[in-house]
Amino acid sequence: MKPRKTTGRRSPQQVLRDAISHHPAGRIAISFSGAEDVVLIDMAAQQGLSVDVFTLDTGRLHTETYKFLEEVRKHYDINIEVLMPDPKEVRELVTKKGLYSFYQDGHSECCAVRKIGPLKSKLESLDAWITGQRKDQSVTRINLAQTQEDQSFSTDDHTIVKYNPLSDWSLTEVWGYIRENNVPYNKLHDKGFVSIGCEPCTRAITPDQHERAGRWWWEEQTQKECGLHAQNVVKIVG
Amino acid sequence: MVKKILANGEPCKKCQDVERRLKEANHWAKLDAIVIANENDPKSEGMELAQSYDIGVAPFFIVENEGEIKIYTLFFKFVNEVLKDRSSNSEANKELIENNSDLDFI
Repeated sequence: MKPRKTTGRRSPQQVLRDAISHHPAGRIAISFSGAEDVVLIDMAAQQGLSVDVFTLDTGRLHTETYKFLEEVRKHYDINIEVLMPDPKEVRELVTKKGLYSFYQDGHSECCAVRKIGPLKSKLESLDAWITGQRKDQSVTRINLAQTQEDQSFSTDDHTIVKYNPLSDWSLTEVWGYIRENNVPYNKLHDKGFVSIGCEPCTRAITPDQHERAGRWWWEEQTQKECGLHAQNVVKIVG
Repeated sequence: MVKKILANGEPCKKCQDVERRLKEANHWAKLDAIVIANENDPKSEGMELAQSYDIGVAPFFIVENEGEIKIYTLFFKFVNEVLKDRSSNSEANKELIENNSDLDFI
């Protein structure tokens, strides 16, 4: 099912409502990371919308995050489907490279096993998913649309739509909503954590730092692709 | 498949790795053509294809199916979807996250 064409910016609540009404029950779900994107669950609850919720349990989350997942489950009286990585793939990774290989080799290999694998499997059963992604989380998200065809997980015969109701919101707006509506939140936020992922790969930051600084801080942002830019040629030839 | 020759005349390492993997998996013969993008020659067929499809990475794959052209810049996605080889699923997932930093925050 292709994303419905819309014009103009809509409120997060409107995006959420449209998304849930556009897809059959069971074919769309909120991806809940255990951090501030709990706002999506609250917005759905406040509008009386019923929607599936899933989360990725990588096996390396903070205790506070597990407690928070449980708090959200009880607070909203909802089921949260907890997705876990393929044990065979985890076993192969840690047997071969140990439990902290990401500090040497980068986080992508571990994330591929613990996050992308289970996420991809889940998305095969869905037509759409709803995320808490925002433009201000990263420079790579400045063009993040409220509704988009998911180029990463769609295949030739299965289009997946991704809804990002909070795309236009700032972190400040998210927290304004959480405070104003008494939304439960991960207690790690009280300890200076902003972007929360796995325990070994997340740290608290200072107020002047971008939230990205709290994740994979040991890695340099380097160009990993094998570039083929025309300007390279022009420079060489010229 | 469009593969790159660097300005110093060496083949790009990623292209070499992809070529090796295709040969080891007996997929190499399934490619209709291997085209060179020579960094020293903007008129080389591969460079012109890269420019015409606005592709900035190598190698990449051009797949034509019933008149519809699709470009694959992710090798393992190409292997999975076009060659129908799912044996490298974990590597496909790694490639996906390495080429899509948006997935970092999932």
